[in-house]
Amino acid sequence: MLKIDNLQVSIEDTDILRGLTLEVPAGEVHAIMGPNGSGKSTLSHTIAGREEYEVHSGSVTLDGENILELEPDERAAKGVFLSFQNPMEIPGVATMNFIRTALNSQRKVRGEAEVSAAEFLKIIREKSKLVGLSDEKLKRPFNVGFSGGEKKRMEMLQMAIFEPRFCIMDETDSGLDIDALKMVGDVVNALRGPESGFLVITHYQRLLEHIRPDRVHVLAGGRIVKSGGPELAERLEESGYDQFIEAA
Amino acid sequence: MAMAVARNITTDDALNNWFQGRWADCAQTEKRQAAFRRFSEVGLPHRRVEGWRWSDFSGALRNFAPAANDQRYDAIYEPSLFAALKPIEITFVNGRIELPKTPLPKGLKLAVNASTTAAYDMVHGLGDNGLISLNAAVSNEALELIVETGSKIDRPILVRHICSGTVPIFVQTIVRAGVNSTAKIIETFEGGGTFYSHSSILEIAARCRIDRLVLQDMDETSVIHNLCAGVLDTKSKFLQTALSTGSKLGRQETILHYNGNEIETELRSAALLSGNRHADFTSRIVHNAEACITRQIHKAAARDKGKAIFQGKFHVSRGAQKTDADMQANALLLSETAEANHKPELEIYADDVECAHGSTAGALDDDALFYLRQRGLSEASARGFLIKAFLAETIDTLDDISRSVFETHINDWLTATIDGE
Repeated sequence: MLKIDNLQVSIEDTDILRGLTLEVPAGEVHAIMGPNGSGKSTLSHTIAGREEYEVHSGSVTLDGENILELEPDERAAKGVFLSFQNPMEIPGVATMNFIRTALNSQRKVRGEAEVSAAEFLKIIREKSKLVGLSDEKLKRPFNVGFSGGEKKRMEMLQMAIFEPRFCIMDETDSGLDIDALKMVGDVVNALRGPESGFLVITHYQRLLEHIRPDRVHVLAGGRIVKSGGPELAERLEESGYDQFIEAA
Repeated sequence: MAMAVARNITTDDALNNWFQGRWADCAQTEKRQAAFRRFSEVGLPHRRVEGWRWSDFSGALRNFAPAANDQRYDAIYEPSLFAALKPIEITFVNGRIELPKTPLPKGLKLAVNASTTAAYDMVHGLGDNGLISLNAAVSNEALELIVETGSKIDRPILVRHICSGTVPIFVQTIVRAGVNSTAKIIETFEGGGTFYSHSSILEIAARCRIDRLVLQDMDETSVIHNLCAGVLDTKSKFLQTALSTGSKLGRQETILHYNGNEIETELRSAALLSGNRHADFTSRIVHNAEACITRQIHKAAARDKGKAIFQGKFHVSRGAQKTDADMQANALLLSETAEANHKPELEIYADDVECAHGSTAGALDDDALFYLRQRGLSEASARGFLIKAFLAETIDTLDDISRSVFETHINDWLTATIDGE
């Protein structure tokens, strides 16, 4: 599904990713763990198409298509979804209007019929219950006055509505309480299927108790330095990243 | 006897001659003579006059050759977008006032009177505002709009200024709102025309509420000055929302005097500028009484060589204790050559007040743009969302229909902006 081959990326002349190679087959959930500054967010933003990140070499393909040539919205229409580490407030943007416009923009590019206002209302009401966001929150301008946890719920709401094929979750667990972690697990597990893939970036093993990953990778110094099964996350929780920082 | 026009009024003989000819045709009362004398002394505002440095009317009207007296009153115009509000509609067609032929609601009186020097009398001495002096001297007709004491006028009053041709137009409006009355007044400035000058006076009595909407949608060759000078009394409310898509040179000027305690005013304005368009929002709010509240917010989005001007001044007199006044001006610059000039000022003589002002200018937020695009919006659509979000605060308190009219203008501007990129 998603294949990253020898990816080298810099930002403002600083090399961040130094030949990263990774493959997430369809139907699998892969976790990426690593110390601060190892390049986790650079990886997620590069896959999503942030133009400030300069790709020097390598490729990122989704089902064989090199998505590095595509605009961020074209990647979204292909099914790439990034759950942001720090979702922003956008005053003046009506939440439901924005999400519906985004959903229909994606659908239009894919040649699918647009979702009517009534259909959308039904969908968003159902999904907002799943993520625990009230109607009052949906009527506010986008994320305005939301707590950190509520912003993460809004990310999960969009993920649940868009039903993307490939989700990158950039430290979605940070700032979440135990109930919210379970909610994230519920959303991910509902979207899991033979055609979808997940890249879950996290510092902690606790989210992985709710989302059982197929593979765990350690990112250090801009490269994957260790890969293994779910037990690798448990080992990291005990021993930390020092050995990998030295190895990188 | 016609008074000689000083050579320094403009650099243009044709315009000088036109002003002089116009003045010769006017009914020259003593007050109007004083106003024309003042205009002769100061001339059209130019960039060397403080308060006009970014709005050079003298320069904008250079080489302007007014047509002879061929003023036409048969301009063809479309129904107003505000028609859905079923307003009481008054039109100024190239300066000639047409009152509605249908009966007026109880408590509302309309009349066409001779022009006055009321605006000139109010603002004279506050600055070298030659335009107000000129309007007071040579304007022919004034619309008088009276809202009687205790009257609630349910239908909005729509005053349309339809402009075309090359004859300079000078018109006036006098609004008198009685104690405990309520009315919504919408002013639109439409079409072309070369030079349009409108001075309006607002007399707002105690416990009165006036909503004023201003929409300027004119050709890029037009030069316009629209003054609103108001006097407010105790516990009155004045809520003003203005939108301008600019013109060759355009100034929306608001001067308010608070003469009673506990007055509340909201001033919201937005400018959308492209090409070489210019929009100047200038205001001076004089707090002369206690416990008054003023909220002012201005937003301007400019691309190409659009030029956005905001000059706001809060004057708080010695006795105006407990004044609570806030002024914010924000500009969104969408191209390297767009320009925003802000001059927020506080002049405070009382010691127990809360007054603040803020001013920002910047580009669209790259983080927000990326966020929206990551969700599937095209770059143009994402930019449109963010520009509308930026402007939203200026129109979000309007009634649904009025907001929809303002949104139509914003959407039209966005479409042209996006298509032009």
